[in-house]
Amino acid sequence: MSSRRSRMRQAGVSRISEDQIADLVSKLQQLIPEIRNRRSDRVSASEVLQETCNYIKNLHREVDDLSDRLSQLLESIDSDSAQAAIIRSLLM
Amino acid sequence: MEEDYSVLTSSGLGRIRKSAVGDEEIMELLWQNGQVVFHSQNQRPGKNTQFEGCGDREAAEQSTIREIRPNGGGETASQHLSMQEDEIASWLQYPIDESSFESDLYADLLYSAPPPPAPMAAARPPPMPSSRPPVAPSQVKLELPPRLHSFAHFSRFPRGKIHSGPSSLSKATTMVDSNETSMVALESSVSKAAAENTAQVSGENVGQGIVSVTATGNETAPTYEMTLTSSSDGLGASDSGSADQHPPPATAEDRKCVGRETDDTGCQSEDFEFESLNAKRQAQGSTSTKRSRTAEVHNQSERRRRDRINEKMKALQELIPRCNKVVEFMYMFSLSWLERIQLLNIKSDKASMLDEAIEYVKSLQLQVQMMSMGCGMVPVMYPSIQQFIPAMGMWMGMGMGMGMPNRPVVPHPSLPGSAVPNPSRAAHIGPRFSIPTFSMPPVPAPDPTRFQAPNQSDAMLNSLAVQNSNQPQIPNFVHPYQQYLGLCQPRIPLPQNQTVMQPAANKPSSIKDIGNPEN
Repeated sequence: MSSRRSRMRQAGVSRISEDQIADLVSKLQQLIPEIRNRRSDRVSASEVLQETCNYIKNLHREVDDLSDRLSQLLESIDSDSAQAAIIRSLLM
Repeated sequence: MEEDYSVLTSSGLGRIRKSAVGDEEIMELLWQNGQVVFHSQNQRPGKNTQFEGCGDREAAEQSTIREIRPNGGGETASQHLSMQEDEIASWLQYPIDESSFESDLYADLLYSAPPPPAPMAAARPPPMPSSRPPVAPSQVKLELPPRLHSFAHFSRFPRGKIHSGPSSLSKATTMVDSNETSMVALESSVSKAAAENTAQVSGENVGQGIVSVTATGNETAPTYEMTLTSSSDGLGASDSGSADQHPPPATAEDRKCVGRETDDTGCQSEDFEFESLNAKRQAQGSTSTKRSRTAEVHNQSERRRRDRINEKMKALQELIPRCNKVVEFMYMFSLSWLERIQLLNIKSDKASMLDEAIEYVKSLQLQVQMMSMGCGMVPVMYPSIQQFIPAMGMWMGMGMGMGMPNRPVVPHPSLPGSAVPNPSRAAHIGPRFSIPTFSMPPVPAPDPTRFQAPNQSDAMLNSLAVQNSNQPQIPNFVHPYQQYLGLCQPRIPLPQNQTVMQPAANKPSSIKDIGNPEN
């Protein structure tokens, strides 16, 4: 990242922002299943960003839900077991 | 209903244009509009098409809100509330045709149709029903009549006589203040727009201001933002740009604006953006060459696009932890290209923010997978522990070793099914397992999130860090298993490399399995 930044600085402002950001946006696009499956070639940057925000929020929600479930599971099992250890580490 | 609405809108547009001419007409339209709005609101207190409820006058009682009076006095909200039923009865007397007009007028005021190059929004596009809900407070008990009259003021005095508008508006908003913020924002934006409105932008600006503000309170704001930014009016763009991300601050600023009677530019970012665009348009309006207009339109559309992206970036930044290097993109992108050159650092930070976003999304995905596997693991644990422990170890190891920002890491997706014992393969992975001895299970929960903030598992984490430099992912996957092995078999210190694998025949395979996909 830092190397990219230093290289970019030498190249000039506009080149830094557009290409670099377009590349990052495309990478982000690949990560997001909703856009990835959509597969329309011209997905705008703002759409990708928006979907990213939504996706992250969804993931946060899932993590919270899973944490709750794991906590409940942790209470139900023997706390000395390996499972408990695993769950505890998961919850952290 | 939407089709009706669109039809009505077009007819209403004509009406609105004439609004400057006929005071009574405007008043009437507003009033009727309020009536219609009222109905539609009741139909859908939340979002979506407001006009669907055109026919439900009875239902209007619920959300009340638009208690519009023909004469429109500045009545208190309480009075309006009590008058709801009376209003409904009075409204019932009006034919539906009028209500359609009202909806048109209201829609025109509320929706920011992407205006044609001409200052006047001649052809507002079909309504944005979704933008209605924010304006029509399901929320509330706003006094519509005073507000509507303010609108009437605006449309009636497009040439700077709007000052009277804000005053009445502020009066109305004062009472409204206790109500939903969206409505307040709406009014304040209206007043703000009115105050700053000079020759050209009167009506549509007001409408756009309203719309942009309404977008503030709306959860589907991004949609609005698209519409708003598409408008040539900078107000909408700037408002949506700022409002979208921070509705409370925006509304707070709007409230401040409400207090000011005239021409206050206190509401900062939106204002200056709006004014600059306005001045620019005025300056060019006189010369009004096609070329300048095209360039201006292009600049404005480019600016709107940038604003849109900036908003999204800000929203994304808020979601990503440790993303504190990013500057206010909105301001940055609102500058011209010349100014942007000066913001080299900021642009770099934007890229770094995107980098972080990518990594964070990956880590979140892994985390979710790991945790879901963990949830599913417990019930199945007992039947074949030997098989599952390595898998779990993988998960845990990855969570511990990934060192993701705030959340534990989730194991690689391919892991779950790969817990097949194969000691021989583990040997290949050995070199990467330079993990110090482990402690007992209770100790272990090395906090995956604290990869950078070492805890008792410092040694393990440090070693992982060393390995990470080579291959960010694979070593992480591998080493955690070591950690887990330590957890599951407390008595077995995990020496370096391959020897660790020997004690647990299953474990090495699991590690290998995980390592293979990565490899």
